[in-house]
Amino acid sequence: MILPMISACFTALSVTLYVLLDGFDLGVGALLLLQPHERSRDHMVDSITPTWDGNETWLIMTGVTLLAAFPIAYGILMPALYLPIIVMLLALGLRGVSFEFRVQAIQYRRKWDLVFALGSIVAAFMQGLILGDLLQGISVEGITFNGSVLDCFRPFPLLCAVCVLAGYVVLGASWLKFKATDQLRKFAERTLRVALPLFLAAFIAVGWFSFAVQPGIFVAWQAHTVVLATLSGIMIVAAFVIFAGINKRPDARPFAASLAMVAAGIVGLAVLVFPDIVPFRVSLWDASASRLSQIFVLTGAAFVSPVVLGYSFFAYWVFRGKTPQKGWDG
Amino acid sequence: MSLNPATLARVQFAFTVSFHIIFPTMSIGLAMFLAVVEGLWLKTKDAIYLQIYRFWLSIFAMGFGVGVVTGLVLSFEFGLGFARFAQLAGPAIGPLIALEVLTSFFLEAGFLGIMLFGMHRVGPKLHYLATCMVALGTLLSASWILAANSWMQTPDGVVVKDGRLVVTNWWHVINNPSWLFRLPHMLTAAYLTASFLVAGVGAWYLLRGEHLAFAKKSVALGTAFATILIAGQVFIGDILYGTMLKHQPSKMQAAEGFWEKQSPSPAPYYWIIVPDQKRQRNRFAFGIPYLGSIWLTHSLRGSVDGLKNTPPDRQPTMGMVFYGFRIMYGIAILMFAVATASLWLRWKRCLFTNRWFLRCLVVMTPSGIVATLGGWYLAETGRQPWVIFGLLKTIDAVSPVPAQTLLATLIAFVCIYAFFMAAFLFFVLRTIRRGPGLSPSHAEASGSLKNALRPQVLDSANANAVLGS
Repeated sequence: MILPMISACFTALSVTLYVLLDGFDLGVGALLLLQPHERSRDHMVDSITPTWDGNETWLIMTGVTLLAAFPIAYGILMPALYLPIIVMLLALGLRGVSFEFRVQAIQYRRKWDLVFALGSIVAAFMQGLILGDLLQGISVEGITFNGSVLDCFRPFPLLCAVCVLAGYVVLGASWLKFKATDQLRKFAERTLRVALPLFLAAFIAVGWFSFAVQPGIFVAWQAHTVVLATLSGIMIVAAFVIFAGINKRPDARPFAASLAMVAAGIVGLAVLVFPDIVPFRVSLWDASASRLSQIFVLTGAAFVSPVVLGYSFFAYWVFRGKTPQKGWDG
Repeated sequence: MSLNPATLARVQFAFTVSFHIIFPTMSIGLAMFLAVVEGLWLKTKDAIYLQIYRFWLSIFAMGFGVGVVTGLVLSFEFGLGFARFAQLAGPAIGPLIALEVLTSFFLEAGFLGIMLFGMHRVGPKLHYLATCMVALGTLLSASWILAANSWMQTPDGVVVKDGRLVVTNWWHVINNPSWLFRLPHMLTAAYLTASFLVAGVGAWYLLRGEHLAFAKKSVALGTAFATILIAGQVFIGDILYGTMLKHQPSKMQAAEGFWEKQSPSPAPYYWIIVPDQKRQRNRFAFGIPYLGSIWLTHSLRGSVDGLKNTPPDRQPTMGMVFYGFRIMYGIAILMFAVATASLWLRWKRCLFTNRWFLRCLVVMTPSGIVATLGGWYLAETGRQPWVIFGLLKTIDAVSPVPAQTLLATLIAFVCIYAFFMAAFLFFVLRTIRRGPGLSPSHAEASGSLKNALRPQVLDSANANAVLGS
């Protein structure tokens, strides 16, 4: 009984790390669209280039942990979320190759930047659709998805998509404030001032409408009122810290606060859907793999994850501080 | 082949996985090549190795990028197209892939940034460590994914209880009957691929009379590695053939192109067949007499088992298996010939001047990739109609996704992947045409961990001083 719980915690950890880390990557990518100066765009991409691959690996980790520990859930979710997942993967693909190819192309760098930005935006949007569809609930019969692949384009998931995109832009802009200097930092501050209220408005709307589309959310609020209220409080405080820190030093503060804000939001979502792995449909115990499979994954994760976190941190450490104006190659 | 979900899901998976495998094959090979070359640079301090390293690093980076984004697709595609397969096989292959992500993807991702952009920040020795870690990551990745795929070929260590798969012995799942042979086979294929890429580009420069020092070193290194590797590969391939004959007879029956339970004696070695699966015979067959008996039974008149030994509902489609095998095997023979020729020319001291040989090398540049694809078609189409051999048929594994949706996403995949390939080829060919950059006049192989831990950012002047470029 305890093993699926630990596996679920590990899955939650990878989702959280993915959203936090690739969240700011995708946010920076989306902001390329608003940045008219090519030098600044180079600088923006430079700030995330050395570490984006590791950030995105947490997405693979999430998918594969589901496959390993909760194969039944994986088999229900993938067909249910077929369209947003495939569009997201293709968008992430376009964005991923743009990292390499925009550097190669001097004449067409503008076009690659457009691909980069649209790829980032579409990927973020699709992740929002996935979240919304999961919260609203997918149709399941036994261990098979039996709804329509178009269910994820209902109004509520679309609202969630806007919210997630805005959240990523907040993360991306505060990352840029943290890593950039001069003009680009000013750009980041301006963006933050618009993006943060947008995100909060979208988030409140999502919270409001979620009660209407999913009765399970009301039930969860009744059961965990204190926890969920505390998490909401943390989000509000973090939002104030970001807003107050926009024009001030240290440059790292808004970024840290955005991470805290989004992390609190994710923990809140986890509390809402617990103990279901397919939200409001299938519990994590019903979907889990046999004991030996869980033990294998968890043993591996227990030994390897600290090492992974260690050298992921080392990679950030090597590229710490402000991103050099001339890029990493100097 | 009608437009049904099962066919479309298979075509989509086949297309995306075939496209993907091209890039890891190159990355596995080039990562090891880069590790060797950087090691040689640190040892000899000869700037030519650094030049070779930098040139192939830029191509490696592009290939790795495409490999990552197309690989990302696969980790979800097991469930997108084949939900039932994921639900059944997840407990066995899921943990293997999870360990792949943990032990190798993060290792690659963590050190790739340093490998590509960190030379100025960490110094050559730590940079070399990063290169080695990336190479190790690709090797580990191949080990895990080959364990997962080999388990699908020769499943072991599991029982099925109430429609759910339960692992009883992890060691048997990983070390299933074919893994230990297929892993070195794939790794050698990847290293051969890199060797022929390097040798081919070098030969092209020699033919054009450009970048001669770089080109000679490339041809020398590439052909040397290729010669050693192909000799080993022939040996490994032969053992693997015997293993598959024992565990998956239907695959090897289809691979040789014979239908009757016993082939004629002496058996020919077919090169071209037009099989008729429905009537269980070949409409046309062309082969070299006696050669089948000699190669396959190591005797002059031995005969080989045909596909009729397997009931029709359990037979793979012969044409795909046969031609996958022939492409791989044919290229292996050509590689062997090139390797032998290179030894002879080395002996005669005209390895860099024999234009016919250099032209051959240029033509053979992508040979490793084509042979690897052929080998995977043999492996995967030969396993059909099973997705997990003997446990689950492919047709029963398909997701509840409508055919139109599958068709739409297939078209999207084809368009976007074609764009990836076009961009990749464009930039790689341009990199090759431009040639290796100006080589640094002298290169100093020093540096330590201290650089990485120093608090201030190295500015570019200092960094160049460290590199001596």
